[in-house]
Amino acid sequence: MAGEIDRRLEELGIELPRPAAPVANYLPFVTAGKLVFVAGQLPVSDGEIKYVGKVGRDFGIEEGKAAARLVGVNIIAQVKAACGGDLDRVVRCVKLGGFVNCVEGFGEQPQVVNGCSDLMVEVFGDNGRHARFAVGANALPLGVAVEIDAVFEIG
Amino acid sequence: MAGRVEARLAELGLDLPPPFAPAATYEAYVIVGGLVFVSGQGPVWGTEIRHTGKVGRDLDLAAGREAARLTVLNLVVHLRTACEGDLDRVRRCVKLFGLVNCGPDFADAETVVDGACGLLADLFGEAGRPALSVTAAPGLPVGIAVELDAVFEIA
Repeated sequence: MAGEIDRRLEELGIELPRPAAPVANYLPFVTAGKLVFVAGQLPVSDGEIKYVGKVGRDFGIEEGKAAARLVGVNIIAQVKAACGGDLDRVVRCVKLGGFVNCVEGFGEQPQVVNGCSDLMVEVFGDNGRHARFAVGANALPLGVAVEIDAVFEIG
Repeated sequence: MAGRVEARLAELGLDLPPPFAPAATYEAYVIVGGLVFVSGQGPVWGTEIRHTGKVGRDLDLAAGREAARLTVLNLVVHLRTACEGDLDRVRRCVKLFGLVNCGPDFADAETVVDGACGLLADLFGEAGRPALSVTAAPGLPVGIAVELDAVFEIA
């Protein structure tokens, strides 16, 4: 079934990965009422972890932003699973929580997390606009540069 | 309009800062159902950043707690807009996530964020007590000392 959002993804040249399985005893997403809580996603492409390292040392802002965009693609893949395959059921992206693995004193987390925020707006239009935080972290799972969790409203 | 919470702010001698508008593809807050998700805020007064640096190195604990209190006022000013000006519609603070900009050995992040919890309790009473997470960060956007992210329930 190719809905409106699926067509939009195709226009953008984005192929959704198979949703990543959690690395421990938790779920990739939980639906509570109309809200879908997506567990923290990582920059995974073709089943492989990408962007391992720190922004400000191993990666510049643009690479960090690309990592955040890739994390966003993985978030959308989980949301699609939560919607039973129909992304047109997404009412809106409510919230993104962005963690940037960075060097001491780094202060450009927002620019990095914008990679994911911009993707949500490209894919879902105004319904992709969300509340968010963007913060630094000393270390992240598997050493990745960016981890982002999300809350979506679905119909 | 002087409601109960506004009266409390006045008793405490506190003004709310001008709301800080996000400069990217996200919103200051998103309302879904009866929940308000407020984006991560910092210790700013409009466009003026009041507290930067690392707590325990550039700021002492008292200054860190003061930064946390100012950050709460930035959450509350967005919350007031979300409530169409009537803060008495706030049912409770559901969740507070506090990030403290500090060095790797700083162990008092909770004490810093407790400054925020204290003010929330002063303003909203028992309903101001959130589920709380606190994390230390090696860096925060534009070097702010504290960032707070919150979910409130409103009527």
